[in-house]
This record gives sequence, C-alpha cells and structure tokens, in this order.
Amino acid sequence: MPSKPLLPSEMTQRVLVIQLARLGDLVQTIPAITALKESHADWDVDLLCPMPLAEIGQLLPGISAVVKWDGAAWHRRAASAEADGYSAYIAAADAELRAMTEDLYDRAFVLNQHPRSILAGALLARENIGAITGGPLDQKLSPWALYIRSVASAKQSNRIHLADAFCGMCGMSPPKRIIPIQVPETALPIDLDPIGQSEGPWISVLVGAGDQERLVPVAAWERMITECLEILPASRIVLVGDQQEQERAQSIQGSLPLSLLGRVWDTTGRLSLIQLASLLTRCQIVIGADTGPLHLAAAVGTRVIGWYFARARVHETGPYGPNHWVWQAEGRERDRMDAVKPSRWPITETIALLRGHYDATVADWSLWESYRDHWGAYYVEAGHEPIEPLQREQVWRQLQPSSVS
Amino acid sequence: MEYLNHNLERLRHSYPALVAALRESRGGVLTMASSREGAPSATHGGQWIHSAYDPRKESGSWAEQQVGEWKTGELGVVLGVGLLYHVEALALIKPPKWRLAVVVPDVSVLKDAMGARPFESWISTIQWITGTPNEIAERLAAQSAPLRFFTYGPAARLHGEEHQQLETSLRRMVARKAGGQLHVAVVGPIYGGSLPVARYVVRALGELGHRVTWIDHSVHHASHEAFGSFREARYRLTVQSRFADVLSFSTIAKIAEDPPDLVLAIAQAPMTLAVLQHLRKKKFTTAMWFVENYRHLTYWRQLAGGYDYWFVIQQEECIEALKRAGATQVHYLPMAADPAVHHPVTLTTDEQQEYGADVSFVGAGYDNRRSLLPRWLSKEWTFKLWGNEWDGATNLSSVLQRSGARIDTDACVRVFNGTTVNLNLHSSSSAGLDAHPDFINPRTFELAACGAFQLVDERTLLPELFSSDEMMCFHSPDDVPSLIRTWLKDSVGRRDHAEAARRRVLREHTYRHRLQDLLAAVGMQQPDRIGSILRGERTATELKRRTDPATELAPLLSRFPPHQRVELKDLAADIRSRAPGRELSREELLVLMLDSYRAETRDLL
Repeated sequence: MPSKPLLPSEMTQRVLVIQLARLGDLVQTIPAITALKESHADWDVDLLCPMPLAEIGQLLPGISAVVKWDGAAWHRRAASAEADGYSAYIAAADAELRAMTEDLYDRAFVLNQHPRSILAGALLARENIGAITGGPLDQKLSPWALYIRSVASAKQSNRIHLADAFCGMCGMSPPKRIIPIQVPETALPIDLDPIGQSEGPWISVLVGAGDQERLVPVAAWERMITECLEILPASRIVLVGDQQEQERAQSIQGSLPLSLLGRVWDTTGRLSLIQLASLLTRCQIVIGADTGPLHLAAAVGTRVIGWYFARARVHETGPYGPNHWVWQAEGRERDRMDAVKPSRWPITETIALLRGHYDATVADWSLWESYRDHWGAYYVEAGHEPIEPLQREQVWRQLQPSSVS
Repeated sequence: MEYLNHNLERLRHSYPALVAALRESRGGVLTMASSREGAPSATHGGQWIHSAYDPRKESGSWAEQQVGEWKTGELGVVLGVGLLYHVEALALIKPPKWRLAVVVPDVSVLKDAMGARPFESWISTIQWITGTPNEIAERLAAQSAPLRFFTYGPAARLHGEEHQQLETSLRRMVARKAGGQLHVAVVGPIYGGSLPVARYVVRALGELGHRVTWIDHSVHHASHEAFGSFREARYRLTVQSRFADVLSFSTIAKIAEDPPDLVLAIAQAPMTLAVLQHLRKKKFTTAMWFVENYRHLTYWRQLAGGYDYWFVIQQEECIEALKRAGATQVHYLPMAADPAVHHPVTLTTDEQQEYGADVSFVGAGYDNRRSLLPRWLSKEWTFKLWGNEWDGATNLSSVLQRSGARIDTDACVRVFNGTTVNLNLHSSSSAGLDAHPDFINPRTFELAACGAFQLVDERTLLPELFSSDEMMCFHSPDDVPSLIRTWLKDSVGRRDHAEAARRRVLREHTYRHRLQDLLAAVGMQQPDRIGSILRGERTATELKRRTDPATELAPLLSRFPPHQRVELKDLAADIRSRAPGRELSREELLVLMLDSYRAETRDLL
C-alpha cells in the first residue's frame, strides 16, 4: 500500500521532522530532510531532536530551527507527578510544549516507531506522516515502518538503506544529491589543536560503541593501531570516544610500545559534539563499529571504514554516501537472528585498504564499498562490478509507486 | 519588660487568651546568655538552645534546610520554642500566604522568648497552639490543611515527652480520619515468628481498604533449609547469604512490576542494605516493623539507615539505639492480635480432653522457661506444656505435649481457650525473669483476643496497654503458684479479667489499629505523598474538584467511580482502552506522554 502522498502546497508550510533516537539515526535523517527541501523549497523544515543532540541538529542541511526535546525534564516531571499528583504537571508539560511552538506545525514527519515520537507528533502538528497511519494509539505501522521492522527482525537481504527508508516514510524519493554537514570553525582544546594540521594520514579510531555487543575488543584495537603505525610511518591515530570510553582508550595506550605513543592522540571524553564533528573533518579516515560518530564522520564528508558485526548490517545502516568501506562479519545461516560475534578481526586487511589494496580477504568477513544512485545508497562487494541492485526498485515500486512513476 | 510589652501588644488582638496566660506565667525556664555576635541566646540545663556564636545565622541555615520540603497548601508546624530565632527565620523566607504554627507546650518558655528580644510584625502571622499534648493534637487534627512538621531540635528537647504524646495522639486522630486507598507491598520473612505477623498485617491492610501486594518469601523456606545443610559453617553462611541476596532482588522485581506507595517489611524480611538504598534512590518509601526484641536480634544495626521508617515494639533505649545507628524516623508500635484468628472457641469434649488443662504454657524452650516452669508444676493442678525446642528438659517431659513438636495457630487457639490459667512468660536467655522487661509479646494480645485468662510476667510497657482489671501480672516467680491457686478457684474473676482484656484488644489492639497508626505516622511525615492519599485527595471526586473545569482533564476523571483512587497510570490505561478509532484530546496525549516517562522512572531493574 503506498504511503500517503503529500498534498501540493500553495502556501509555505511549517513542517517538523521528528527524530528522537540517537546520533546515528539523527545523521541518517539528512537525506529525508534534503529530499523534503528539494521537493518543497518554500517549506520551513524544523527538527525535533533530543536536547543533547541539538547542536548537531542545527548543522543538518535544510533545517530552519531545532526544537529541543528535554527528556530529562520529562523524567523529572513524571517522577514528581507520581509522587505529588499529576494535574499540575500535566499543565506544566502543556505550557512547555506551547513554549516550544505557539502554533501547531502543519505537518510532522515522525521517523521513529517509539510511542513518544508518535505522541510528540500528535501534540505538535495537525497532521502526522511517517511511522504510523491512523491515531497515535492505533499501532498501525506505515508500509515503510513495517518494511524497516521486517528487515530488522528477519535480517532479510535487502537493498534499501535506513536513511532512504526515512525518505520513503516522508513520502519522498531519495534526494538527488547529498550535502555534507558544514561544520563551523570550532576550536579544540589547545593540546588537541595540532590534530590534522601536519603530515598524515590522520586516522580516527572509535574506541567504543553505544551497545555492549558492538564493542571491538581493546586487544583488537591495540593490534590494529600498532600495525598501522608500524606499516604507515607517517600515520597518526586519534582515539575518539565519550567519557565512559576513556578507560578503554587508556587500556589501548597502555599496551602500545612506548616508541609509538607520540603518534597517538587521545580525545576521549574531552570534546563536545560540535568539536567531535570538527575533529572528524580533520581526519582522512575514520575506523569504527556501527556507531553515531561513524555516521557523523560520513556526514561531514570524511571517508570511513566500518567494522560491522553483532546485529549491524551494511545494507541497512552502512555509512551513507559514496566511497566508504565496510567489513561485514558473516554469521552462519542458522545464526542470522543472533548477534554475530567475530572470532577474528580484519586488522591486516583494514591496513591493506589504507594502503590502497582493495583485494584483501579475511575468513568470516566480507568487504563492501558504498555507492549511491537515484534509489539511494547501496553497497557492492569488493571485486564485483557496481551493478545497481534490482531489489531496491522492486521495494520502491511496491511501497511507493508514486516515487517510481 | 519593655520587649515583653512590645511583643504582647502585637498579639493582643488575635490572641487575647494567650497574652493573658503569658502575663500570668512566671517564665524563667530559659537562662539568658549573650552570644558572641551580641544577640541574646539561651541555655537550658547547661545546653545551648541557640548558637553561642550567631543565633540568627544558625537559625537562617536551619530554616533554609526546612523550607525545601514545605509544599503549597501545607500548614507548617514548628516544634521547639526557644527564643524563636528559627521561627522568625522560617516566617521571613516562606512565601507570604503560607501559614506557620508553633506548638507551645509551656507558655513560660514563650514568655522568656517574648522578654528577650523585640519581634516584628511576623509574630502576629504565627498561629500559636497551646494546651496539653492531647488538646494541641485535637487542634492540629482539626486543621483543614495537611501538616508539615519542622522540629528545631535544641529547643524541642525541652519538651520531648510532650511532643511524643502529641505525636501519638495526633497519629491516632489522623488514623481515625484516614480513608484513602494506598498500595502497600508487604515483604515477609522466609520463616519464623514474624511470618504469621506478616500475614496478619496483610489481612489488616486489606480490611482497611488498601491494596496489598504480599511478597511472601516463606515459599522459599525449603530451599533455605536445604542450603543450611552444609556441614562447613562458612559454606552454609555464604550460600544462605547469597540466597538472601537473590530473594532481596526478587523483591525488587516484584515491586517493579507493580510499584507500591509503601514497601512495608516485617522483621526478618530478606532485604539487604543495597536493595534498600536502591529503592530510596528510586523514590520508594520503605518501612520496617521490627517485631523483635532489639537486644536479642541485632541485624537492625546494619539496616538502620536503609529504611525510611522504623516501627519497634520497645521504647526509649531501642529508639535511641536505632537513631544512633542511622535511622531517622523511629516510632513505637506495639504488637497486636488478629481477632479473625484469635477469638473465643467452644471446644468439643474430645478437644477439651486433648487441649484442655488447669494450667498451660505455649512457647519455645528458652533458658528462663526451662528453669522456671518446673517450679510451677504441682499435684494441685493439671499442667500441659506445648511447643518446641524443649530437648533435654527432662524435668518437664511429663507435661510436654506431642513430644515437643511445633503446634500451629489453630491448635494454639484451642489450647488458650481450653486452659483455665494460661501462663505467659516472656522469653529470656537468663535463668529468671527477663532482666529488661519492656516489650509485650504477641501472646499477650492473642490470649486476650481469645477471651482467655492469663498470668503474665510484669512488663514496663504493659500498663499503658492493659489495666490491672484486664490483665493479671506476677512480679516474682515465687508468686506464681499462689496466684495459680487463687485464680483456679475464682471463675468469676477470671471471666471478668478475660472479657475485659478481650474488649480492650478489640477496641485498641488489633492489627487494624496498628496499621492505621503506622500509616498515619508515615502520612504525617509525608503529607504531600502518602498523607494526601490517606486523606482521599487522589480520588476521582477530589481530583475533579481541584481540576480546572476548562481543561479536558475533568471529563477524563468523570469516567471513574467517585471514590476510586485515580493515578496517572489509571488515566493512561483508561485512555488506551478507548483509543482505537477516536481522536485524542491534547490532555489525553499529555497524560500518555507523561505516563510513558513514569513507567521508565520506576524501572527498577
């Protein structure tokens, strides 16, 4: 069933894109916003995102304003409402929402299936499009949301990237072009300022991951960094992560030969999101698991090499845009539903990639390179011709015939 | 004199009777002393009532700490008069329309304050509450607003006893008026004497109209016993301790599934300090009814700071010990009886044959019982001894029933009813009577509830629970044979005492009374939370009354029965049940959004 077509607009419309998930999903929303602006240049497109991500939200191309969703304040209000009675807190919540936007948006594009995103859409806009059809409690997923869910649960071999599925949820085709995030000039802490300012390559290593199962073992990072620094004599390594990942970064450095330490820069726990984006633009390559910073790196225009394992699948959430590489851990057929736990890591092979050798292979892993066409992003296995996979067109025909015609 | 007249003049119009009483009062309770900063301060019994350095600054800090707890609509009630620096500080920082009262158990102290320094207009905004503790309690209970108590310790210390009486009286008055429906999770022990108490508590709460989640750990008794079979003590203790941790964690899981307003643990409940701290972090209110002799079982030392409220069956020393160990709220709450279980029973001839005797004793074989009971055997009367842990008591083997097997509650009730003179000897590990005869055991109340006559060893806390017309005590072991002899002959006297004692239990000493008291105590400390629920402020009618009729919340509340308590989750559930095919109002959406965060806030695991 096709999703609801957008009505042609004669007046400028105020629309709100709702993305309340994490950094990676926020960055993957860029194609949908771009597609909306390509179709309706006169629309004011605002973004509702979690308050901690607002400074990145401001940078997304095409966004007029960011509306901050203060989840912590809602938590506090809910706790007080339970303890003291709720009437006053419902009134307070109402006042806060009215302060966010005096008038309702004409339309909200709700890109998460979480009930809170759906309720936020119902509270802030007259009309909602995206994850569900019908009322907020009807629990009837839109065709695109159903597609994403079925892909996530069945691990189907699909060719529609999540970011392009977001376009579909907005009733849009993937955008003609992708505009990288323009990071404003941002100062780093003074001792980190030399990063990217001298000979390289400067290689970022994302030491952590939001989910435990997506953590690359410290020993694997340590080996990769050691070999990389030995084989690429001019290379520099930048360790990237948040405060909780400082201990991992320290463990990695603790195991490195002393002679190499001068070429390793530890930024973990020291950067704001804007500073992180700026740092990623200073590096030539970013290596890491399927995490928010990996997608941010791709969005600011830096080439990335992803190590995809656990439940991460290159075809769904690979870095968006051309010229990225992903090593995909392959589970056995019967394990398709389980998280893939690699027993070895593509270390030597990643360093070979850095040296321009694209034919390295490693058991239990496959290597994929990213491309993009009018159906969106797709990945082709290394050594194969970049023929556009046909499945994507079929899915678009089925879910959104208006886009195909 | 100048200050006194100036201050009394400010009160003359509003409190003429108080002014007259102050004029007649002699004062002189406090000893005036100048503080280093120059302002007057005072001592009593050699102890400073206010700071010796800077009473204003000290009182200001105290008031800042208190005011954070104070909620709109509550009447602040200050305990402790002193020189009123603390009252002044509180009066000056509170929002203008908030009301403040001061309890004055002795106007002489207030006169000292009035004569010590001049007061500004704030003094005429204070509600002065004087009289006996009971009169003060009545006046406070008559207030329409919830009460928020502020205790200024150094000054309150002068009238600790009066404040204790006030609290007890007020608690009872509040308990009588309470009507709201709480959700209480009762956490019971794995086994032991407190297990039946936990069951009585569950029933009493249910009878009072509260919703109870009964977390019954007795179902794990067999496992606990099995883990106790290791020969090596360190293995046994380690495994049993880990097992208690698991049960503690299972309690959290149960609470997480259906969050209560109050978690009430009964003595020996397997709750670790870590779990209690976790519950506090998640804003759960916890209470422990420690129905044990604190001198014998001392694990309270490790848990004292973990519970928000302690209820104990002993007074001063016990309360002080718990407070020293870190407990903040400790209240005396004696044992009780459950009339549904302990009541008069007419025995059949066979039952009389089996359970009946001239004299009986039911209980475990503690040292003092082993040494004293043989002295009370006689050829003049038949004697039956019931209970367990009597191994090796050869001089009692002739009277020991069922070879010392434990008997159940039903059998106990039959023994009590079938016995002419029931002996009730509180346990002790020494040879004679209990050296610290304070608390009253459950048997005292249970025998009375059965309408059974008993001779009980004298207890310091007994007179305030039963009069001499209701309960017959013995002062010395040597008195017991003659008392038995006397009372065996006096059937009318026995009946009069027993019936009076039963009436007293039904009137004042059932578990329902105790739980009313317990909840009232918690409600008085938390007037905005537990207190508001007990006052019925969370019912559909009351919520509707206080809701702006212009909002769409009122029609949502109308869907519930008037007296039903309606929480956020209830509103959300009702909205969800009616949602399909209907456009939701803004209020409904807000309720659902807030509820989605509420569900996460209480996510304990």
